[in-house]
Amino acid sequence: MVVVQRKALTLAERLYLPEVLRGLSLTFRKFFEKPITRQYPEQPLPTDEVTRGQPRLVVKEDGNIACVSCGMCEIACPAYAITIDGGETDRGIEREPKKFEIDMLRCILCGFCEEACPKDAIFMSNELELADYTRAGLVYDLEKLKRPKSALQKRIDYVYRLNDRWRSKQ
Amino acid sequence: MGAFLEDLPLWVQWVAKVAIIFGGLVGTAALMSLAERKVSAWMQFRHGPNRVGPFGLLQPLADGIKFIFKEELIPAGANKFLFRLAPALAAIPSMMTIAVIPIGTIKVGEKEIPFSIAQLDLGIMYMLALGGLSVYGAILGGWASNSKYSLLGGLRASAQMISYELTLILSILVIVALSGSLDLNAIVTAQRENGLWNVFTPFGALAFVLFTIASFAETNRHPFDFAECEPELVGGFHTEYSAMRFALFFLGEYCAMTVMACLNTTLFFGGPSVPLWPEAPWFLGILAFLLKAGFFLFLFIWVRWTLPRFRFDQLMRLGWKVALPIALANLLVVGAWVAFTTPKSS
Ligand code: SF4
Ligand code: SF4
Repeated sequence: MVVVQRKALTLAERLYLPEVLRGLSLTFRKFFEKPITRQYPEQPLPTDEVTRGQPRLVVKEDGNIACVSCGMCEIACPAYAITIDGGETDRGIEREPKKFEIDMLRCILCGFCEEACPKDAIFMSNELELADYTRAGLVYDLEKLKRPKSALQKRIDYVYRLNDRWRSKQ
Repeated sequence: MGAFLEDLPLWVQWVAKVAIIFGGLVGTAALMSLAERKVSAWMQFRHGPNRVGPFGLLQPLADGIKFIFKEELIPAGANKFLFRLAPALAAIPSMMTIAVIPIGTIKVGEKEIPFSIAQLDLGIMYMLALGGLSVYGAILGGWASNSKYSLLGGLRASAQMISYELTLILSILVIVALSGSLDLNAIVTAQRENGLWNVFTPFGALAFVLFTIASFAETNRHPFDFAECEPELVGGFHTEYSAMRFALFFLGEYCAMTVMACLNTTLFFGGPSVPLWPEAPWFLGILAFLLKAGFFLFLFIWVRWTLPRFRFDQLMRLGWKVALPIALANLLVVGAWVAFTTPKSS
């Protein structure tokens, strides 16, 4: 059992007013210190490759989307946020998505889609902001999800590094 | 210019004074709502409101517009008439008390115009009588809301006001005894003639401390804000209020604070007298008054963001067992001292 001994107060402390003055002087000194609040829209949070923001689709250097609409990410997604409708293409890979939607209101930014994708076609970007006037506006379609590979390069390299480490342990 | 102003009829003078002083009071109250948030923010390493206008200076305006357009709710079972009346009862008396505060004198040409709405012989009585009325707003608001938190808040407000009103009046009486008048102008003049502000006299200093403590309790400010007491009573007597009526309660509170700050300045800090320079021009006097009152307004906020709230029994103990006896003893000693030192006139 813990017995907390009550500290006997000195006379000055019991008189209360000296302690009040001490408190006032403390708050007055703090008054002049620099605020530590981040002014959000002007000073956004710093992000780097570890930031797991919203998932985005990679557009390769030749202008084609890397996704082959295999549906792995759709199945991996624990929040059922991804909806894919596959179609055919004349390119060598033969398939590409006709419809690829991620419901950003459902997405929990877990990164499972990134892990599941066999074609390195979907990655977690550093985009964090999410706002719209309607729910429908937050269901992102292909056009809204496409990002050039260069924009996601840092994250791609990071994921490769992670996977390399995992492979070397085997 | 001077001659033109001198020839103006008296009522123009009055209307102008009422407009300036009353507008100044409400403006100060509005600015206080901003200052409260700004100062609290700076003391906690934050920025405070800074989005509306430069440094957030237009924030009170934005708040006002928001309050006006918000939907107003009246709880079922509330006494509608009293519910609507209470905010006005809380706000109006505290605004009216500013009328007798002598802010200084304006010199136009040769004429001296006293810069206060009314120069009453019984200025202090007027202030105390009206100041005592403002508790009705809190009690009626609490009772009419038909809510237990509001009722408790209102009850606490009344208990607290009655307890501290005594200390407040007794410490004012010390000054009345020292300067021999109930007229605030005469109190200012007496301090100027003595060349010594009341706060620098031994009795005055004690009375000042008691008065300041009691004025915090009278205006329901921390550390005595039992009428509101957010953690226990949601919002106290104004729990059920919304929109503009809610804002009126706060307007009343800030007006009361402003008046208390002015009264403190007048009673203990020589009102509009400039320290060490008795012949200072009139506008410096007014500036000095505003600066002194401004300091006390800052003190209200400063203390609020420093001290934790008392417990209710501690509040009562402090009021009845500590502050009141000291105030009484102080008054007795001052009375005896004045009686023995003043030469008998008759
Ligand atoms: S797992 Fe990759 S390739 Fe397969 S559908 Fe998803 S994004 Fe496209
Ligand atoms: S990050 Fe997670 S929740 Fe979001 S789409 Fe990918 S798998 Fe689904």
